[in-house]
Amino acid sequence: MIRCLFLIALLASSVAQAQAQALKPFVRGSQQAIMASHQGKPFILALWSLDCTHCVDDMVLFGKLAKKYRTLDLVLVSTDAPEHKQQIARLLHRHRLEQAESWVFADGYVERLRFEIDPQWYGELPRTYFFDAAGHAIAVSGKIDADQVERWIWGR
Amino acid sequence: MKILLLIVVLMAPSFTPPASAHEAGAKSGMENKRVDMPSGERSLAMSVALDGQGRLWRASVRDKQLRVDYSDDAGKTFSAPVEVNPQGEAIGADGENRPKIAIGRRGEIYVSWTMLLDKPYTGHVRFSRSLDGGRTFFAPLTVNDNHEVIGHRFDALTVGADGSVYLIWLDKRDLVAAKAKGEKYGGSALYYAVSDNQGASFAANVKLADHSCDCCRIALVVPPKGAPVAFWRHNFEDNIRDHALARLDGKGEMRRVSHDEWQIDACPHHGPALAIASDNAYHFAWFDNAPRAHGLFYAQSRDEGKTFSSPLHFGDDAHAAAHPDVLNLGREVFLVWKEFDGEVTSVRMMRSRDGGTSWSKNESVAATHDASDHPQLVARNGRVWLSWNSKLEGYRLIALEGAL
Repeated sequence: MIRCLFLIALLASSVAQAQAQALKPFVRGSQQAIMASHQGKPFILALWSLDCTHCVDDMVLFGKLAKKYRTLDLVLVSTDAPEHKQQIARLLHRHRLEQAESWVFADGYVERLRFEIDPQWYGELPRTYFFDAAGHAIAVSGKIDADQVERWIWGR
Repeated sequence: MKILLLIVVLMAPSFTPPASAHEAGAKSGMENKRVDMPSGERSLAMSVALDGQGRLWRASVRDKQLRVDYSDDAGKTFSAPVEVNPQGEAIGADGENRPKIAIGRRGEIYVSWTMLLDKPYTGHVRFSRSLDGGRTFFAPLTVNDNHEVIGHRFDALTVGADGSVYLIWLDKRDLVAAKAKGEKYGGSALYYAVSDNQGASFAANVKLADHSCDCCRIALVVPPKGAPVAFWRHNFEDNIRDHALARLDGKGEMRRVSHDEWQIDACPHHGPALAIASDNAYHFAWFDNAPRAHGLFYAQSRDEGKTFSSPLHFGDDAHAAAHPDVLNLGREVFLVWKEFDGEVTSVRMMRSRDGGTSWSKNESVAATHDASDHPQLVARNGRVWLSWNSKLEGYRLIALEGAL
């Protein structure tokens, strides 16, 4: 019976994975689309890349938090390119972040993508925005702190 | 029960993202995946150098090949490129980690690049040379004498006053050694190597400094006398990423240049620039994003880096001023950098005629509506050019004399 339950759980998790969100191409206007779809809702926008050593630590943290707080609204934007989608998917899978809304830079004119996100962001990674329900954000460059994120989650 | 098991077995593989061909042989674990950004088909990142005859030499990357070509008409047309590495290899070709080219005292063409390995953040520093005016290149050498599959990346190349070839790079060997002993080690180390035989071979690697930042380009410049000077973003205590200076003379004496106190546990991907004038004035340009110092800064030193002028903030922060280069002709100093206004990327320039004390207003000298490389300044015979590659316009060499 226990084995049976275990298998059902496994199956359920596989089905959950099957519903992993597709990696969306982040192009001109995507930032506005993200803002519009999260209007009135607090969310975290996390910019990261595969070649950023500190970003992986954030992914580990987000993976844990997403499990702990099912209502955490997380938007991940990789600044890599669409041709890295397999590597991105593997990393998201590894940290159990398949459920998170996930984007990848899909325009070589990265200056414009960065500017649309935040003119004051120079491309340093990781870069994380904590948006409140009114659409105002606190921006953090560098690795984020677990306590800081939990405080934000409780304060939403 | 059996049916359930069968369903699980059948379904599970389809939910694992497929591995690409080169990952197939690697054991699982994210540390075994390529995550460096390889050269791709054609990268915008390139370097140029002018030789004694005014010929413009260029190193670029395409399809795992380092290519060298030249122009005799100020960058309008280029020769058929020569492929330097017949065995293709993944080559770092982004803004901070680009191929390098330098001209020797006897017209030798020297090139260096970072060969990316299959583990993330790893690479070897590679070098080749041509002694027949760029017609043929010698088989590439690996210059780092530690051959672990770890980071030896972000190479910088120059030729000393005596013709010696200098290569410097960011090296992870001390981090690995510290970890093996259970100790902590912040950032990378700077290692360099010198060749006194026209690049036929390099002497043993020498450590210049511990604890540099991990992914910013290094500026490496030859002063009028003595060994080259390196200028880089350093990882000071508590992740404070300010800039430091040291001479490649074996003494390893490091000086702190900026005190912006940018404390960040992140990759700025934004290295500094240095020019040293014939009067031995050092001109520095860098980017920081600290609460007290945000944007681009210029400073100078008149005593070989012992004391510094107060940093001058330049560029428009509202337009993401970034990626500066600096160059001087005696007391004339040129600064260029990139800005973006929401639609257009421009290279802005300002100029000093009095050794960096007073400056002209800044102005746009080139623009594009799509992706572009970092700007580079080159000079010869009292003339200065902006070298800039952009996706839409292609390569441009723009004379800056008439800009004022």
